[in-house]
Amino acid sequence: MVVPLNMWVLISNFKLKYNLLRRPDGTFDRHLAEFLDRKVPANANPVDGIFSFDVIIDRTMNLLCRIYRPAFTEEPQPSLIDLEKPVDAEFVPVIVFFHGGSFAHSSANSAIYDTLCRRLVGICKAIVVSVNYRRAPENRYPCAYDDGWLALKWVSSRSWLQSKIDSKVHIFLAGDSSGGNIVHSVALRAAEAEIEVSGNILLNPMFGGEERTESEKKLDGKYFVGIRERDWYWRAFLPEGENRDHPACNPFGPRGKSLEGIKFPKSLVVVAGLDLIQDWQLAYAKGLEKAGQEVKLLFLEQATIGFYLLPNNNHFYTVMNEISSFVNPNGK
Amino acid sequence: MGPFDPSAAAAAAAAAAAAASSSSSSSCSGGSAPKRHHHHHHHHPPPDLDGLLAGAGYKVRSSELHHVAQRLERLETALVNSAAHIPHLASDAVHYNPSDLASWVDSMLSELPSSSFSSPCLPSGFPDPYSPAAAALGGGWVDHPSCSPHPQPHQNVVVPQQPQPQQQQQLTVVTALEEDSGIQLVHALMTCAESVQRGDASLAGSLVEEMRALLTRVDTSRGIGKVAGYFIDALGRRLLGLGSAPASAFENEVLYHHFYEACPYLKFAHFTANQAILEAFDGHDCVHVIDFNLMHGLQWPALIQALALRPRGPPLLRLTGIGPPSPDGRDVLREIGLRLAELARSVNVRFAFRGVAASRLEDVKPWMLQVSPKEAVAVNSIMQLHRLLGSDPPRDPPIGSVLPWIRSLNPKIMTVAEQEANHNRPGFLDRFTEALYYYSTLFDSLEAACPVQPDKALAEMYLQREICNIVGCEGAARVERHEPLDRWRARLGRAGFRPLHLGSNAFKQASMLLTLFSTEGYSVEENEGCLTLCWHSRPLIAASAWQAAPTVVNSPAGVINHDDNNNQLSCSPVPMLSIETDIPSSIQ
Repeated sequence: MVVPLNMWVLISNFKLKYNLLRRPDGTFDRHLAEFLDRKVPANANPVDGIFSFDVIIDRTMNLLCRIYRPAFTEEPQPSLIDLEKPVDAEFVPVIVFFHGGSFAHSSANSAIYDTLCRRLVGICKAIVVSVNYRRAPENRYPCAYDDGWLALKWVSSRSWLQSKIDSKVHIFLAGDSSGGNIVHSVALRAAEAEIEVSGNILLNPMFGGEERTESEKKLDGKYFVGIRERDWYWRAFLPEGENRDHPACNPFGPRGKSLEGIKFPKSLVVVAGLDLIQDWQLAYAKGLEKAGQEVKLLFLEQATIGFYLLPNNNHFYTVMNEISSFVNPNGK
Repeated sequence: MGPFDPSAAAAAAAAAAAAASSSSSSSCSGGSAPKRHHHHHHHHPPPDLDGLLAGAGYKVRSSELHHVAQRLERLETALVNSAAHIPHLASDAVHYNPSDLASWVDSMLSELPSSSFSSPCLPSGFPDPYSPAAAALGGGWVDHPSCSPHPQPHQNVVVPQQPQPQQQQQLTVVTALEEDSGIQLVHALMTCAESVQRGDASLAGSLVEEMRALLTRVDTSRGIGKVAGYFIDALGRRLLGLGSAPASAFENEVLYHHFYEACPYLKFAHFTANQAILEAFDGHDCVHVIDFNLMHGLQWPALIQALALRPRGPPLLRLTGIGPPSPDGRDVLREIGLRLAELARSVNVRFAFRGVAASRLEDVKPWMLQVSPKEAVAVNSIMQLHRLLGSDPPRDPPIGSVLPWIRSLNPKIMTVAEQEANHNRPGFLDRFTEALYYYSTLFDSLEAACPVQPDKALAEMYLQREICNIVGCEGAARVERHEPLDRWRARLGRAGFRPLHLGSNAFKQASMLLTLFSTEGYSVEENEGCLTLCWHSRPLIAASAWQAAPTVVNSPAGVINHDDNNNQLSCSPVPMLSIETDIPSSIQ
C-alpha cells in the first residue's frame, strides 16, 4: 500500500505543525497556529465554475460562513453579481459543512478546506455552506455545536436556497474529523426541534471513549496519529473535569442517549482503515443501526486520515461519488 | 538579529535573473546561540510547483518533494528523540513564510543540534524495533528512497500545474444579513456603473436619481446602505465632471488623524513597519529613516522609544519627513520635527530631523534626502506608492522613476503598506465593483469597531474621499490606484527589490495589538512573508518589507562583485536648497 508522495508531505507537515502547537499544560499556541495556517480569501469571481463569498450570519456571535455556489450560466462574467440570487434548479442540495481539525485547528477559510468545499460543489452539484465555528481550547463544548446549530437555522430560513420543486431547503450536514462529530450533535438537535435534515455525512468522524480499543492500541503512532494527542484534543474540547465517556465524545457509550424512535437523518459514515480511532467510528455506525436508523458505512481499508484532502487516490473518488449519490435524490 | 544574512548573497547571483520567482530566505533566531540559516531558491527558472499542494497553500516544486519528505522525516526523528526540542521550536524560534515548505522545514532542522538526528531508517538509541518512530519510518507503507534499497518512489502522475494566476481576478466579498432593498441598490449601482463604462451618460444619470430615491428606503446607518450613499455621490460627481473635491492639506490631516484613531489599519501598518525597521537597524549606529508621508509623525514615537531601549544603546537617528508644503507661512514639517526631537531628547536618543516639502512624491529627488554612505537607510511608505501609478498619457507613471531612485539609495529596508485591493483595473465597472465590496467591508469594520463620534464620522469622510477619487477621477488626478500584494511583489521584484519576510514574532505582536480593540472581527494573516490585516477574513491592508537586491557586476576576471553600501549611492553631500529644515541634533 502506497501513499502518494505529495499527500505524505502534506499530512506529515500538518502533523509537525500540530505538534508545535499543543502545549503539555493544555493550552494552545493560537498565534503560531494562525500564522502557520494557509488561508485563502473568498472569491466572488468564478474559478472553475465556482464562486464563494463570506457572510456574517450572526453579528453578536461574529459567526462567519463561507458559501460556495456554481457560477450562473447566463452571466459568465460576474460583473452583475447577485450573490444570494435564488437557486434556479428544481433540486439543489445544500451541504452545511463543518471543517475538521480536532476542534482546535483550521478555519472555514483554510486552504485545504476551501479546496475541499469547491470540489464538493463541483462533484455534487450542491451549494456548500462552510461554518467557521469557534474552536477549542478557548471555546469548549458546546460552543462548536451552538455555532453549528445557528448555521443550520440560518440556512434553513434562507428563501434563496429553496429548491424550486417544493420550495424547501434540502439540507445535508457534512464534516470531517471534529466536523463529523459536530454533524451528529447538530442533527440530533435538529431532530428534536423538528427541522428537517435530509442526511448526515461523516468523514473520519472524531469520536472516542475512556476504553482503549484494539485499533487505538494497534495503530498508535503508526499513521500520523497517536493516542496521546487524541486525548489532548478531548481534554481541550470537553468541559473541564470531564472524561471521554461524555456523550459528546462517546454518543453511544455508557452516558449516551438512545436514538430509538427519533426522526434522525440517514447517515453516510466513512471510515479509513488506517485511522486509529476506527473502532469508535465503527461503533458509531453500529449504534445508529441498532437504534433503527438508516446508515451506510463506507470502510476504506487502506486509507489514512486526510485522504480526501487531495484527489490523487482512489479513495477520494470513491467517497466523492458516494457523497454525490447520497445528496442527490435519485441515488440513495 | 535580522532575518537576512548578507553573506549568503552569493546565492543571489541569479536573483536578478529570476525576478519572478519568490525568494525564500528564512531563518530562525532564538535561544542562546542565534543561528541563521538560509535556503535560497533564486537560481532556478520559474518553478514547477506541485499543483495539488499549491491548492493546499504550499509552494513545493515537484522535483523537491523527495527532499522535503526526507527532511520532514529527519525532523520527526529528532522530535521523537527529544521532546524538549518542541517548545524550543514553538516558542523561541521565529518562523517565516510557511508556504515555502522546504525552507520552513530546513530552517527548523537548522535550529536543532545536528546530533539529534541520524539516519532516518535507524534512529539511534532506540532499542525497541517496534517503536512508533521506527514503525512509521521503516514500515514501508510509503515507498521512500531513504528506506528502501532500490528507490522506486511512487510519484503521482498528476501533471503539476502552475498555480492559476487567480489573484488578479480575485473579488472577496464579506456580507452581513442583507434586506431586499439593499440588494436592489447593489443591482442599481452595478447597472449604473456599467452604463458609465459604456458611455451612456443619460441612463447613468437617471439611475443616480433612482438610487437616491432607493436610499430613502434603505437603512443607511450600516451595511450596504451606508457605503452606497458615498458611491452614488461619487457617480453623480463623475457625471458632472467634478472629480474629487479639492482638499486642503489641513483638512487631509484632520481626517487622517481621525481615521488613525477610529480603526487599527494605520496603527497596524506603523507597528509592523517599525518592527521590521528595528530588526533591520540592529547592529547599526547611524540610521536614517525616510518617511514618504510624515503627516503628524504618529509612527515615530514608538520607534524612537524602541531604539532608546536597545540593549547596546540607541543609534544616532536621522528622520527625513516628506510632506506637502504648508500654506500661510507655517512650517508644519518643522513643527512635527521639533516635537519628535523633544521626545528623542527625553529618552536620550541622538536625533536629527529634516523636512522635505514637496506636493508630490515624484518631485522629490534623492539628493534632497542627503543620504550618507555610512548610515543604514529605511524607506517607509505607508499608502503612498499607489499614488505614483497614474499619469496623463503620454507621460509614464512616476513609479518608473521613483522606484529606481529608492533602489539607488540602497536601503537596508523599505517598509511598504498598501490597501489590499484592486482599484486600478482599467475597466470602470471592474474597478467600481471591487471598490464597492472593499469599502463596504471597511465601513462595516468602522461601524463595529468604533462607536465613538466624531472619530467615526470623520474617518468615514477620509474614506469617502478615496471613494470619490477612485470613482470620479481619471489620469493623473486619480491617485487612489490601490493594487494587491501580488502586483506589488511583481513590480518591486522587477525594480530590483527582494522581500524581507515578516515572521511569526511580528505576526504575534500585531495580533496582540488587535486585541486592544475590543471588537472581534479583526485578524492578522500571513501571506508568503507579508502580513495582512483582515476584517472577517477579508484582507484589507497588506504590510511588507523589502531590501535592495544586490546587483551583479562582472569584473574582467570573471569574479562576481556584490553591491554593498559603499558603491552606487548618489548621495554626495551637495549644498541644499532652502526647502529643508534642519533641526539641530539634541546631542552633537
